[in-house]
Amino acid sequence: MQQLAQLAVEEALRAGADYADARIVRLSQEQLGVRNGKLSMADAPEEFGLGVRVMKQGCWGFAAAPGLPSDLADVVPGVARRAYKAARDLGPARRTPIQLAAEAGHVGEYHTPIQIDPFRVSLRDKVDLLRRAEAAVHVRSEVVAGESMLGLRREEQWQASSEGASLHQVLVRVGAHVTATASAHGHVETRSHPAYGGQYLSGGWEHIEAMQLVETAPRMGEEAAALCSAPPCPTGEFTMILGGSQLALQIHESVGHPTEADRIFDHEIDFAGSSFVRPEMVGTHRYGSDQVTLEANSQLAHGLDTRGWDDEGVPSQRWPIVDKGILKGLLTDREWASGAGDERSRGSSRAEGWYNPPIVRITNLSLLPGGWDLQALLADTEDGALLVDGIRTWSIDQRRLNFQFTCQAAWEVQDGKPGRLYRQPTYQGSTPAFWAGCDAVCSPEHFQVFGVPNCGKGNPYQIAEMSHGAAPARFRGVSFIH
Amino acid sequence: MSILSNDHAVELCQSLVQQSPADQTEVTLDCVEDRFVRYACDGPTQNADREKYAVAFRVRIPVDGQLREARATCGTIDPDDMRAAMDRALVLAEHADPVDSDRPMGGPVTIPGSAMERPTQDHTFREKGAWIVEAQAAAHRAGLLSAGLVQTTVLSKTLVNSAGRVAHGAQARASFSMTAYEGGGSGVTASSETVHASVDRLDVPSAIRQTVERAAKARHPEPIDPGEYTVVLMPQAVSALLLGMSYAGFGAQEYHESRSPLCGRVGERLFPDGLCLMDDVRHELYPGIPFDGEGSPTLRTDLLRHGAFTGPVTDAHWAARLGLTNTGHGHSQPSPRGPEPRHLVLAPGHQSTEQLIAGVENGLLVSQFHYTNLMEPREMVFTGMTRGGTFRIEGGRVTRPVHNLRFTQSWVQALTRVRGIGNQLHVAGALFGGEVLCPSLRIDGFRFTSTTAF
Repeated sequence: MQQLAQLAVEEALRAGADYADARIVRLSQEQLGVRNGKLSMADAPEEFGLGVRVMKQGCWGFAAAPGLPSDLADVVPGVARRAYKAARDLGPARRTPIQLAAEAGHVGEYHTPIQIDPFRVSLRDKVDLLRRAEAAVHVRSEVVAGESMLGLRREEQWQASSEGASLHQVLVRVGAHVTATASAHGHVETRSHPAYGGQYLSGGWEHIEAMQLVETAPRMGEEAAALCSAPPCPTGEFTMILGGSQLALQIHESVGHPTEADRIFDHEIDFAGSSFVRPEMVGTHRYGSDQVTLEANSQLAHGLDTRGWDDEGVPSQRWPIVDKGILKGLLTDREWASGAGDERSRGSSRAEGWYNPPIVRITNLSLLPGGWDLQALLADTEDGALLVDGIRTWSIDQRRLNFQFTCQAAWEVQDGKPGRLYRQPTYQGSTPAFWAGCDAVCSPEHFQVFGVPNCGKGNPYQIAEMSHGAAPARFRGVSFIH
Repeated sequence: MSILSNDHAVELCQSLVQQSPADQTEVTLDCVEDRFVRYACDGPTQNADREKYAVAFRVRIPVDGQLREARATCGTIDPDDMRAAMDRALVLAEHADPVDSDRPMGGPVTIPGSAMERPTQDHTFREKGAWIVEAQAAAHRAGLLSAGLVQTTVLSKTLVNSAGRVAHGAQARASFSMTAYEGGGSGVTASSETVHASVDRLDVPSAIRQTVERAAKARHPEPIDPGEYTVVLMPQAVSALLLGMSYAGFGAQEYHESRSPLCGRVGERLFPDGLCLMDDVRHELYPGIPFDGEGSPTLRTDLLRHGAFTGPVTDAHWAARLGLTNTGHGHSQPSPRGPEPRHLVLAPGHQSTEQLIAGVENGLLVSQFHYTNLMEPREMVFTGMTRGGTFRIEGGRVTRPVHNLRFTQSWVQALTRVRGIGNQLHVAGALFGGEVLCPSLRIDGFRFTSTTAF
């Protein structure tokens, strides 16, 4: 397969390309879901194909086609020539040539470390687990829908480039959730475990076993039903302790996307939007309080974007985005490294499968833990503050400033403990002011990595995966609305 | 060449059905050819000339005397690859639940004809590049920058099952979109899109002119207070409203599970008399594939007739369960998702957008919504931002640009407050996919809960 990737590169160079890279990707998935007692989803998609990217006089060209190992050699020349033709034909419309940051041609292998191969666990065991978890949410009559889901993904890719890259990676990701939806008193409320839409991690079946889906499911049913009877979350300005899963989404939307270099340079402005961050802010702009340190790390244990190299063959790295509140770095690919003031790409270039050209992507990005024990933080927090967690819905403006998140549940802090339950807590704010209000972050014992398996970006739309680590943190002066 | 001819695709699917050892088998073949060029201030930034297949096997096998079903897909039309996918489906089916006895795979159907557009399929990168040069020049003349997407896609879908069902359809989509914006991160933007099945019918010059004119007018926006305003929503903004409702309110599953605000309200006059909403996959302005994920013909289905809810869309399962007609709005099975409308058409009214504006004493003209998401399903409360040019309407005239606002608004309530419907249908889409045919709308009392500084 490596030779076929190399052949594609050679064909593109022979056609006249100045630069070429090729990725052959085999993607195997298993998707199982149980809904209200029935196996409602049982799918095992597989795909295999080739994507070739070339540059001619500073303009990209990309072509892609499906194939199999047995016939890919026949497909390669045509795909390479089509990629070249696209670059050649679009070159005259290009105003300034694209220049790539230098990168050595790396050679190597990377395999996601796994303890138990999830594709070798019997189907019977998987379906049984989902059935038991889903059945366990039906603890109250208000629960109208129970769902459990399991997703497995194995992505094997071979990369080659005209600069000598020759890479083979096998990335394995797993995810699952159990969810209860209750309807009563005119309200529909949902609780999910371990996270909304599923907790996804890189690794094997050991992660699924650790999620305790069956053991936790009854609590989801109880809480969903209780939320239907709970009063709406009060409105006004409150101190908020934000739980890890919602904080992960907050990091994703208000730090990850605004620091993507292509957004900053307006290359995403027609679709997902741009960013309030400007290149000159790096090194001086106060993004948050001294408590806020955020680190990008494509080597993070169990991270969904943990890999050996990105889709431009740049090695995985670890670097600060925000250090003690100051913006320190951006997410870049080889095209945008110099614009961000870096000599090298940060290795944040990713493509969905073989069918798409790579674009700048958030990698694993975490709020580094502080020193607070959660119980101590609750005890230190005034009565009436709100402990909020569980993703329900989210929205943020096209420059990543004005956001509004609705969560699954809030608990009023009373005597240093979570007390009265509220439904539909909705908080809104502006990115810099929100992070400036962070005055405490819990300790490493509370730190957890949450996966985002479905980040959409690009036009046409692509999906990518990444993770965000977080421990619960406290934010002052947060505005809650109905 | 990815797209197979009608006969070739049907023959391939029929041969796969015949090879299947399952009691019942359904094979679906999707073929896609796509060419796109994305551009930004410095010209083309990304592009692709690409093709793909998706072959899906849905099988039903007897286990302990009862039929069970599952699905598996592959991404090539290689015989060995397809056989492996069929085998995966058979293994998965062994662990599935018994299917409903009253829901056998559907038999023969008559599917209306549909076709690709050859000009769309053959549109070249050079032609796309020429449009991009035009867009950039027009923006430049106005002191603006531009970004956008030019895309031509053709696809076909073929479904054959062991009960004798054969369905084949084709579709083409051509689009040119443009966002004109100020450099330096001011946040001033305006966008337009022209979409048609035939690339020859795209009105690219008008899209470029409208975008540049609106972006020029959007410069120097002024602060505005949140609150309730009468709004005139341009079609792109209306599309966000309709697409939100399409996945949260009009399907039989949400209806039955009390998750839709329309539950139990069939026949009730909920909205103004002028509101007529239907799902029409064969609408002449933008036809789609005329059958659903099980090969059932997708019927033109009224959803709101003169403001009254006429009932949810269905698929084979929900039609049988609720005693309704199968409207052909199902997903590929098995799936946890219920039926959904996919080709919403909001019937036009009798006023031009200018006339809608003229009737507003104090309100807002909203070009587009951004990042719209569902907060509460029973009332269909959505939140999102304005984008692409938001303007004050004063004394029946568009007077000045204002900062973007965040709305938190029940779509159901918004539809009850529709006071005017535009007379021109546009193909309009919202962020994160989906397109509808809709006119502009005037809505009173639209609730904005916060604002931005741009």
